[in-house]
Amino acid sequence: MESRSTQPQTKSVNGTAGKLFRFLRGMPFSFILLFVIIAACVAGSVIPQGGAESLYLGRYGAATGGLILFLQLDRVFTCWWFIALAALLCLNLILCSVSRFPIVLRAWRAGGKREIGVWGSWLTHLGLLLMIVGFAAGQFLSREAVAYGIPGSTQPLGDTGLLLTIDAFDVTLRADDTVEQYTASLTVTDAAGASRSGTASVNHPFDAYGYSFYQDSMGWASYVDIRRDGELIKTDLICTGEYTFPNDLPQLVLMFNKFYPDLVRGEDGSLATASPHLNNPHCLYSLYFDGNLMAMDLTEPGAPIPVHDYEFTMYDPVEYTLIVAKSDPTAWLVGASAAILLAGLFLSFYVRPWEQKRRKDHADEPAS
Amino acid sequence: MQTNPLLDKVESVAFMAALVAYLIATAFYFIYGAAKKDRFGRAAWLMLLIGLVEHTVCIVVRGVNAGRLPMTNQYEFASAFAWGIALCFLIFVKKYRFDVLGMFVSPVIFLVIGYAAMQNREIHALMPALQSSWLGFHVSMAIIGYGGFGVAFGVALVYLLRGRFRGKLAERIPAEETLDLIIYRAVALGFLFLTMCMITGAIWAKRAWGSYWSWDPKETWSLITWIIYAIFLHMRLRRGLAGRRAALFAVLGFLCVIFTYVGVNTLLSGLHSYK
Repeated sequence: MESRSTQPQTKSVNGTAGKLFRFLRGMPFSFILLFVIIAACVAGSVIPQGGAESLYLGRYGAATGGLILFLQLDRVFTCWWFIALAALLCLNLILCSVSRFPIVLRAWRAGGKREIGVWGSWLTHLGLLLMIVGFAAGQFLSREAVAYGIPGSTQPLGDTGLLLTIDAFDVTLRADDTVEQYTASLTVTDAAGASRSGTASVNHPFDAYGYSFYQDSMGWASYVDIRRDGELIKTDLICTGEYTFPNDLPQLVLMFNKFYPDLVRGEDGSLATASPHLNNPHCLYSLYFDGNLMAMDLTEPGAPIPVHDYEFTMYDPVEYTLIVAKSDPTAWLVGASAAILLAGLFLSFYVRPWEQKRRKDHADEPAS
Repeated sequence: MQTNPLLDKVESVAFMAALVAYLIATAFYFIYGAAKKDRFGRAAWLMLLIGLVEHTVCIVVRGVNAGRLPMTNQYEFASAFAWGIALCFLIFVKKYRFDVLGMFVSPVIFLVIGYAAMQNREIHALMPALQSSWLGFHVSMAIIGYGGFGVAFGVALVYLLRGRFRGKLAERIPAEETLDLIIYRAVALGFLFLTMCMITGAIWAKRAWGSYWSWDPKETWSLITWIIYAIFLHMRLRRGLAGRRAALFAVLGFLCVIFTYVGVNTLLSGLHSYK
């Protein structure tokens, strides 16, 4: 973000191109961009992001909802104009930094290379620029895959070429039954058959083969036996939110809505769980036929749910874990840029306090 | 969570004592503003110092009782926020011998700790995501940063209202250049620590969720606050922003801080939401 006093440095650049260049590297342009970014951020924090069209049309009405969708305020931080704003800010920072570099260098040399503080502002801008570039690059280069399953299960990890085995999953509870930690023991196997094992818990990811494996969340799963006329025709394992059906009658669907390990009913009939222990386990399920809801009820594990010639039996509830694998090759750049930014701020504010030399700076050199 | 009843009691007493001390300090500062003698200013400063000591005892005892840093819910952070402003204020007052600033900062301290008093003070065990050593760094940076911005806000109010002061009070207000300098230095301190707060938060988020920035409302509003103060600093250092406009900017920035702290947690949903 250029200062006024660097203007003489570009006197050789004349005409419209010169004016444009000076505008693009100038502080007024920075301020315009920053104020628009602030407005975008306010919109992005107040308006729900990433919802369906119907959400905005329903909540805000046809006119306002339509405007939100037209302006892409439903996905502010990934829309083209926000990315363009960030790109323009980068351009501003690049032009400013490049044009100021020789001035800062001169000022530094003039001070016998002792006044390292003159680099403060320049480093701050460089740090910010690298941070935006690193973050943007991370959006394109980072990879993410999600896997969930019960202990003992193995599954491919998205398109990473890796296999993830969940060896064990443990929820550590405190005396008052609050959760102290979720820990998953994992084995990751690569395409060549080599494998590495470790544990992932919240705040302590497991690193293997260029990925970090995060213990993201957990839930309950249940086995389901499906019988027709008393004969077992299918056994399935479904997590909450998932469904199963007889292969010969796919229109008949059983959905696993929710699991209550220790079911209690409130005075108003509301359902809750008294503890995470399996003291009074119940599954809330829904039955659909051809997309139409037939029934919604609670069942105890092992109790049959008859539907005409068919019978569903949910049993052996078990906790599953959801593991997220992430790879971000630019994280180091963002970390380094943060360090540069902080160093720049410290130099600016405390090694060479601008405020005391503000008038002098304006008079003799603009680079600090 | 099982806690030590004795420590609960000590914390409660220390908290109330700090609240009362801040209130008395506020009253003394207002008397000081109107009175001719300086002793009320000294008494107010001393009262605020006593309040800060009691407040420190309260925070330390709660930390011992909880077995962790007491900075994880609305009550704890509001309490620490008030503590940070009080600490920054005492340092700035000592450095610049600017007692009358207390008329504007001590009510803010009292309001923030009053807000804390209205929150649930029960000690809860931490959820796994909050069990990180980064929590202490992240929140400590926020407290000092917000403290700096709080002081800048108070001085900005002095600057904006100085024309309305008469008599002894008007004499006690430092020169405009001094007020301007204090605003800048307080904002610079706050900006540096806000930056560190955001960076440590990003590192923590990366450890906990694998993503250092996810446009969560708290993150977004921290960025908004950061940009506003960045504009303030640029305008001041490059465009000569000073005086009334600089003071207004400092007030605007602090309103953003308050919204980032209270508004986002209560009005918007996200990772930092307490709803």
